[in-house]
Amino acid sequence: MSSAEGRGRTLDEAVDAALIELKESRRNVDIKVISETAEETVVEVTVIDHGATVATSPAPANGKAEVARGMVEGLLKHMGVRAQVTVRPGSDPITLDISGRDLGALIGWRGETLRALQSVTNVMVGRHLAEGERIIVDVERYRQRREHTVREIAMRAARQVKMTGDAITLDAMQPFERRAIHLALEGDPDVTSGSIGEEPERRVVVGPRKPAAG
Amino acid sequence: MPGRAAAERIRKAIALVNSVADGAGDEEITPTEIAEAIRDCLELNEVDLVANVRRYLGEALDAVSDGMPADFVAMTLYAALGALREGRPTD
Repeated sequence: MSSAEGRGRTLDEAVDAALIELKESRRNVDIKVISETAEETVVEVTVIDHGATVATSPAPANGKAEVARGMVEGLLKHMGVRAQVTVRPGSDPITLDISGRDLGALIGWRGETLRALQSVTNVMVGRHLAEGERIIVDVERYRQRREHTVREIAMRAARQVKMTGDAITLDAMQPFERRAIHLALEGDPDVTSGSIGEEPERRVVVGPRKPAAG
Repeated sequence: MPGRAAAERIRKAIALVNSVADGAGDEEITPTEIAEAIRDCLELNEVDLVANVRRYLGEALDAVSDGMPADFVAMTLYAALGALREGRPTD
């Protein structure tokens, strides 16, 4: 698998820089954010071998991943959806990538169908999983892209909070998106993140970190 | 759109369950809150206008009471939402 490092002012710019070097499209790569600061984002972009299924990927030792992949493949077949299911190499928790043509319907409104598919998958595979273990399902890297997008939103909000000193309330987001934001900002010494409101309208608030009393 | 209020309430219940399953780490949802959200759905008369919606919601409520995994509860609620969207009238 070939990979390249990309740098840019934004995540998109960094990814594009690496994609140009690799001569690849976003659909065929795995993106890992190495560092993200107000000035620069650095990413590692790795080309995915779409031919690699569980049988040939580094996951064969993981029987659970194999079982989950097989079940989702079967489910999609019953649904009449032509798609390829692969295990994302090195993913923890186990992540299944579904790829194919015109899979928008599998994602649904704000990822609702994708989320439902993940619930069904976890129910089907549940007895093969340990307590608390879960399977993540992603379609055409939608979830991964959303995580990157919200992380960029978080960085932008953090920059604004540092400039103005005022807290910013972001749009309502799903739990995995809020989690990505909390993780992105947890190491920032100047800002802090929390959430307000009730599901499904729960929103992240990014505000200045108050100095410790005393 | 008929069933819109019910769909909104079911989505709220699903969001609560998914929050438990996904663990954003910024809230504590109790089974009581989820059960309340499902009961809110059952209070609407419109869940009786479409086949199977009340049945699925009842099953979801039972699943919460029985301590079933969040994904199972979510799946049952998605079934209720799907039935509502399908909109097949009760016999």
